[in-house]
Amino acid sequence: MSTTKRGLERFYQYRNNIRGIISQIESAPEPNPVLLKFFALIQENDEKTIDCVESGKPLISSWYGSAPEIYAAMGIHYFCPVDNILAHQPFFNDLAEMDSASIPADMCGLIKLAAHGVEKGTVPVPTAMIAMLEPCDAQSALHEAWMNTEGWQDVPTFALDPSYGTNKYDYEYFAGELKRMISFLENHVGWKMDYNKLRDVIEVTNLQYAAWAEYNEFRRAIPCPHDSFVGSKLGWAITQHITAGHPGAVEIFKMLAYDAEQKAKAGQGPLPKEKIRVLWADLVPTWADPLAAWLAEEWGANIVMDFQGYTPYEHIDTSTEDSMLLGLAKRNMAEVPMIRQARGSVDVMIEDITRIAKDYRCDCVLFPGHVGHKDQSASIGFLKEACRDLKLPLLTLTVDNFDPRFTPMDVLKRQISEFFEVNGLC
Amino acid sequence: MQSRLQSSALLEFQEAAANPTNPVLQEWKTRGGKIIGMMYHYVPEEIITAAGMLPYRMRATGNEGTELSESRFTQVNCSLVRHLFDSGMRGNLNFLDGVVSVNNCDHIRRLYDNWKAKIKTPYTHFMSFPKKSGPEQAEAYRRELEGFIKSLVEQFEVDISDEKLRNAIKLHNETRHLQRQLYSLKKSDAPPISGSETLTAMVAASCMPREYYNMRLAQLIEDCRKTELSKNHLARIMVIGGEIDDPGFITAIESQKGLVVTDLLGYGFRSCAKDVSTNGDPLTALADYQVNERPADPRIFGRTTEERDMYISKMVQDFNIDGIISVRLMQCDHWGFEQVNLTKHLRKKHIPHLALETEYILGSVGQLKTRVQAFVESIVEAKHVNN
Repeated sequence: MSTTKRGLERFYQYRNNIRGIISQIESAPEPNPVLLKFFALIQENDEKTIDCVESGKPLISSWYGSAPEIYAAMGIHYFCPVDNILAHQPFFNDLAEMDSASIPADMCGLIKLAAHGVEKGTVPVPTAMIAMLEPCDAQSALHEAWMNTEGWQDVPTFALDPSYGTNKYDYEYFAGELKRMISFLENHVGWKMDYNKLRDVIEVTNLQYAAWAEYNEFRRAIPCPHDSFVGSKLGWAITQHITAGHPGAVEIFKMLAYDAEQKAKAGQGPLPKEKIRVLWADLVPTWADPLAAWLAEEWGANIVMDFQGYTPYEHIDTSTEDSMLLGLAKRNMAEVPMIRQARGSVDVMIEDITRIAKDYRCDCVLFPGHVGHKDQSASIGFLKEACRDLKLPLLTLTVDNFDPRFTPMDVLKRQISEFFEVNGLC
Repeated sequence: MQSRLQSSALLEFQEAAANPTNPVLQEWKTRGGKIIGMMYHYVPEEIITAAGMLPYRMRATGNEGTELSESRFTQVNCSLVRHLFDSGMRGNLNFLDGVVSVNNCDHIRRLYDNWKAKIKTPYTHFMSFPKKSGPEQAEAYRRELEGFIKSLVEQFEVDISDEKLRNAIKLHNETRHLQRQLYSLKKSDAPPISGSETLTAMVAASCMPREYYNMRLAQLIEDCRKTELSKNHLARIMVIGGEIDDPGFITAIESQKGLVVTDLLGYGFRSCAKDVSTNGDPLTALADYQVNERPADPRIFGRTTEERDMYISKMVQDFNIDGIISVRLMQCDHWGFEQVNLTKHLRKKHIPHLALETEYILGSVGQLKTRVQAFVESIVEAKHVNN
């Protein structure tokens, strides 16, 4: 019987994968400096997780939208149990194994993978868990399922409950939740909150988000200076799943913005001729790369913006403890992708689509209809009305963003091709 | 499985449960009474009663298709919301003067958005309902209830005083008290009323003037006490799930000689297990009841699976249960995981469990009956071996 601590073996494999990817990039004739920087950050973060598990240091299981700035200010390392499972999906057999679990087949692939990973033991047992109850029902249920999984039953847990609305009181309520989370972490992990450190962390993240916003501005250029999903894929990982306040994250966004700026000035894009500018109205799927490559090659289409990359983050006022917590409450309730578009009423999603379509001069909207996003699927009437008003063609698909088997790529290609042809977009 | 019960009250309840409206509801409306529809639970009916209006739990009973919701929802959405929206579009719920909802689940919250946009009920109101229990959450919900009262007062020019709220709480507690009496009758070895008849009586509460309902329920209980008992079931079953409002589902189970003696359903025992406190500030009591006090369902995080499991174990003992049937509407994430959790818990406790998935409007009854039949047979077999 293996004496390796739970989840460690899998994390060693993740580390090997990342090392291999870095070696591959380095061996290219012109190594991509952004990707090198990005994977170095990921590697650094995974090493910290491995160190926590190996040496029994405090390790928090967390989720996006849980104000990671606070963990960083408290000096606590955190990880999201499903993040690496998704990022390394092609290297493991998790999808097939997940099918044998007892979770209903009609649920979201991410949720099923996350439940299966903890059940199977490919995820380390944390010192404590911060559960996030938005933006979907499955997320709340998933965290309860973990609490009911052997090995995790005694993990102290605090759940963050973001209010449904977006008024001052809603943000104050969530700021109160963040305060209660801090008390919980102080009591269960034993590390103290340092508000001066929090100020430093937030100020770095303010720079990070400003740089990301600048990068997004350059993606408005025609042609779009970078490929589909580029900022979104990197941005999600480095803002949600590595230690918050890392100067390297700012640097990556600045490097992206600089490169995009140069290309925009020169009128250059990744496509010889950009023909179709697409808004992808959801997160970036795990099978984004082959889709993006096909869109570019076959149709000269570029997904110029998506929900994961559309991050209208605001500057947080760091003058007082209360202003920082209120700012973090707003950031995590109303600005983090997916929580932004899915929590609360349908209005934000429709406003975002309208604004993106105009700002990025999109030619059409692809709505993936992800099986896990029940709220979004119940928003299609509003989406159709918005696209009609914008005079934009809309294609509604049904996919699982996290399971490429759900809708075969060939089927997607056929549906998208017909859509482009019928609407005269090619 | 029908009991030998003869009761005019039951006949009245059956008519109410089988249709969107019923004679007493229509009479209420004819006399100028207002009716406020509630999407799912967690909306305190007492506030609507205190406003002098009739709280109506929205159902799509008898709806046959979902054609009119296809442009607003997809197959990823549950059949409850698709039928409710379709029913609303067809005008089946036009008697409603208002609709109020909370963010109960991903489907219901968008049902509200779509309803507001397309069905145009004269008054709509939405409240943020916390996703976990706790004192701060009850306080937050109390604030939402204050807003609800203010909104009702402005829209309908009614007075909702603390005194009226206290009286409404007493009236609804009386309902719960009577309903618990009804369930208590089912603890006997040969209950006088079947599970489907019980659910019928429970559903009727959601669509009748409350004083009248209480009077008729008291009559039903009296009729039950006069009923000659007979035992023709093979197993005593408890049903666990969410918004099941069709007694036909229970009938299908009971047709296989599995008598449903209790439940933890939204319309069922979960709605009457506890009273709202009559001490102190009534609005605080109502918020606390909804967030912290009533038996939890998986919508509320923090009233952990452990607490829910303990509650189920207690009910298994109280009602001498032989087996549990859990039911989930397809596409429901809350109940999807709850069935996984239940399976683990009940396996540990050696309690037979059948997990079913269904659609809001009952279909594939033959398949359902076959599964229940096999389940009941397995219970009988196990009893035989153990004896």
